Amino acid sequence: MAEKIKILYLDDEIDNLTGFKASFRLDYQIFTAVNVPAAMDILNDHPDIKIIFCDQRMPGKTGVEFFEEIRTTFPAPIRILITAYTDIESVIGAINRGNIFRFIKKPWDPADVISAIEEANKFYHTNSILTIKNEELRKAYAELDKFAYSVSHDIRGPLAGILGAINVAREIYDINEMKEMLFLMEKSLKKLDTYILSMHDYYSLQRGELRLAEVDFNQIARELKDIYRVVSDTSDIGFVINVDQREPFRSDIVPLMLILNNLLSNAFKYQNKTTEDKRVELTMLVHRGQLHIEVKDTGIGILGNHINEIFNLFYRASSQEAGSGFGLYNVKSALLKLNGHIEVNSALNKGTTFKVSIPTK
Amino acid sequence: MNLSFIVIDDTDLDHFIAKKMINHADKQFEVKPFYEAQSALDYIKSEGALIKSDTNILVLLDIYMPIMNGYQFLDAFEALDPDIQSKYYIVALTSSHEPADMNRMSIYKSVKALLSKPLLAEDLSAIIMRMITEKEMDML
Repeated sequence: MAEKIKILYLDDEIDNLTGFKASFRLDYQIFTAVNVPAAMDILNDHPDIKIIFCDQRMPGKTGVEFFEEIRTTFPAPIRILITAYTDIESVIGAINRGNIFRFIKKPWDPADVISAIEEANKFYHTNSILTIKNEELRKAYAELDKFAYSVSHDIRGPLAGILGAINVAREIYDINEMKEMLFLMEKSLKKLDTYILSMHDYYSLQRGELRLAEVDFNQIARELKDIYRVVSDTSDIGFVINVDQREPFRSDIVPLMLILNNLLSNAFKYQNKTTEDKRVELTMLVHRGQLHIEVKDTGIGILGNHINEIFNLFYRASSQEAGSGFGLYNVKSALLKLNGHIEVNSALNKGTTFKVSIPTK
Repeated sequence: MNLSFIVIDDTDLDHFIAKKMINHADKQFEVKPFYEAQSALDYIKSEGALIKSDTNILVLLDIYMPIMNGYQFLDAFEALDPDIQSKYYIVALTSSHEPADMNRMSIYKSVKALLSKPLLAEDLSAIIMRMITEKEMDML
């Protein structure tokens, strides 16, 4: 059953409050207040109140003034004024200024009140959907701005480098120098390639639906071992995978692999070149419908003041290696899709540990 | 007048190109490369006061870098002792044609020119000529 609509009624006459509550408490959850401070307390305690009824004639403050006052502090609830016909002049202005959704004449007719509540409820929901959509739009625009800025630098940067190198090549006669430059050009192109691939990941995470299937983590461990064997061997980084799966786990393999690959490639990439015993350790444990992933490295670590920003789009906390600024943002988006969450612990020059948990679907 | 160079950029290839272009202008020029703006700033702080009066340093500064970007570098640089600042002739480099970058860069007094990447030999020669002329005018 749907939750009852929460309604606040403010009136200085206790009889009216009691009568109102008695008439409507079966269908709605009614809060009553005998004065403005009491009403404020209720609004503070119950932010999910959807509709406020208020009597116009109260000592100290009129209903119109009360609504005017709470319009900015409690903008969400729909405001309905209860008033006698004699007050009508003072009410028209308030309605026109948009402070009041409806008014109900006193003494009220239950049918009028119910119809007002139902209309107000619809209005409330339309408004809140609009507010949510607006917020989503605002975020999308902000991200688009960031995107335009990043694209012009992260895509044009490597291209400008390649163009510059071609210019320079016209005056290089030494074969070794030429080879050195070709190596650097290749590095720039690889960076550009990574950026474009991550951009594709970014897009597919924002769109697309989940495709659920059973996941075998021993199989994943074998694949990951193969993928990272080369970098592990050539950079002399020990790679250990621990798997403990004794129950089935359902999820979408695509975002799951994206999370694992981003965390692992970071763990390999951001190693401390001077550390003797370089290691990356991955643990995947399925227990009571939860997947726990831990990726632990002996790398350069993340400075405390950067740690809150590493999940932001286009944020790069290191210049040691070329990052696209997408990786951890994509991890966060993937986790949002899978209802998972992530925490990070890092000590500078000692290493970083990411802990992820994801529920089975 | 003695002239040397500092290049601040996070990309290997851009360092390579900058060095080539500078050597193209004159093989004798000394080039100090920095991959992080912070280490360039530390260097300038410690070495800036020791520079001889007839020496000037042309700084090629990339704007778009992780951790400390070009703007953050300039904020810190412009807070340094004016005597130190006057030794450095800063040229900002950008790979974008973003008006936002152009506008933002214009507020920094220490930036004498804004060039777009890739750095071209003729642009660099023109900047070097301009710098020498300006410095000689200052001497008079």
